[in-house]
Amino acid sequence: MSDGDFLRVTDVSKWYGDERVLHDVSFEMDRGDVTVLIGPSGSGKSTMLRCVNRLAEAQEGSIRLDGEEVLSPDLDVDELRREVGMVFQGFNLFAHLTAVGNVALGPRRVLGLSEADARERAEEQLDRVGLADQLDSYPAELSGGQQQRVGIARALAMEPKLMLFDEPTSALDPELIGEVLEAMHGLVDEGMTMLVVTHEMSFAREVADEVVFLDEGHVVERGPPDQLFERPEKERTGRFLERIASHD
Amino acid sequence: MASATRPATVRERVAASDRSIGRLLLVAAGALFWGWLLVSWVNRWLGGVLVPIGEPLVSAAAVEATLAALPGLAAYAADAAFVVELTPQLARGTWLTVVITAVSLVVGFVIAVPLAVARVYGRFSAWLSLAYTELLRGTPLLAQLFVLYYGLNLASYVPGALSGVFARGVVWVAILGFTLNGAAYQAEYIRGALESVEEGQITAGRAIGLSKLETIYHVVLPQGLRYAIPSWTNEFVYLIKYSSLAAFITVPELYYRADQVASETFRYTLIFVVTGVTYLALVLTASKLMGRVEEAVAIPGLGVEREE
Repeated sequence: MSDGDFLRVTDVSKWYGDERVLHDVSFEMDRGDVTVLIGPSGSGKSTMLRCVNRLAEAQEGSIRLDGEEVLSPDLDVDELRREVGMVFQGFNLFAHLTAVGNVALGPRRVLGLSEADARERAEEQLDRVGLADQLDSYPAELSGGQQQRVGIARALAMEPKLMLFDEPTSALDPELIGEVLEAMHGLVDEGMTMLVVTHEMSFAREVADEVVFLDEGHVVERGPPDQLFERPEKERTGRFLERIASHD
Repeated sequence: MASATRPATVRERVAASDRSIGRLLLVAAGALFWGWLLVSWVNRWLGGVLVPIGEPLVSAAAVEATLAALPGLAAYAADAAFVVELTPQLARGTWLTVVITAVSLVVGFVIAVPLAVARVYGRFSAWLSLAYTELLRGTPLLAQLFVLYYGLNLASYVPGALSGVFARGVVWVAILGFTLNGAAYQAEYIRGALESVEEGQITAGRAIGLSKLETIYHVVLPQGLRYAIPSWTNEFVYLIKYSSLAAFITVPELYYRADQVASETFRYTLIFVVTGVTYLALVLTASKLMGRVEEAVAIPGLGVEREE
């Protein structure tokens, strides 16, 4: 089990108006851990993920990242987001920029690298996700899988200490999922700390240090993947896993 | 399918050549129009090196004599000579029309972008922007010009550095009026375009650590302003035409000069047909120009309707 030296989420709660979408969610990660959040749609897992880089605001609880309180009102959120990369379900590539332009924008404008250095870094990151031959393509000229790999490269170019993945393969055609998972496997091998929301149970099984099952905003159960997948303690977890399995 | 690029049937070939002949005529007309204007203006600036200031570039008498000698066109010889006599006035007026339009449009754009950004992303500033836009769009432009010129008498306050640029300070009052008014309309077009930029673009910008303003500058505006080009072109075209309202505060632009000659000669139909054609040429040039700009800054897939 992690002792939560790196990321400690404690009793996080969030409401949208009167509706409570997160109920005292807690989990921990060490540096280099891969934690996978699973659960039915509307279970709050994407919202939980977005609370970590403050794209969503949690109203209660605590999120400590590397010793710093993320939910503190005094925190510089732009500073936080420099260090926490995010990959979106819908890719969200900057539509007016080439692959290189997408990846270089952060290093250039946020980190203040020179034009040449930012481009060099972008090329390195695109090479890392296997897109060295698509540097000057615009998003509309790329397949979904390629777009998502640019999205990953864009987050990596900021040299983040934590990567958030929000259903990175859910918008992809089945035949394009593999290349994105492959890029993610590569990051796992390099020791990247990753918090991943996904329905790809095989990915969770293979690389996760811990799987957290959320339902209706509650952490129902969490544990190492072999335990959670093979011997779920809660009935709800079992039912969810059966439903997912029957879809595969 | 190599054959698909080449017209296959005679009919298609004729249609294609029609298109190219039409295009050639349009280009020729454009070259003639702008050639006439540029040479006229340069002639005036250089103190009449080609023809004396105020004289047409070609002699009206020569045009009349030439046409009179041609059997089919003899009936129009006198009218043609009259139009040629008119051209120095038209060229002079068109100069002010072009300058007033261009300066007002560019300065108005510089004001319109922050207005639109404030409207879409601001809180208190959104209300200010809305108030400005509604006030300027909701009252007659002519009334605005009258307030600036007759009401506030701004022509007498034109700063020394600017007053020498045009023969009369009132030109600056017109530019101010069109700038303030045009900014409101441009802001409205740009606002619509900004709102059509997907929310996910902003989320992605914020997620890499760009501030809200940086995201607007580096992500939203480059996309939104591209979306805005077609509707913004409308504003360009409108401005060319309603710049004629400057005549009512005594700015000697194209409409003013045409009206002046007409009231002296009573040849209203001929004069205003020719003046209308001049405005039309300006408008066509503007939309052609903006079409070029749109092509030049086009990005694959951007602004194309999603197929899904």
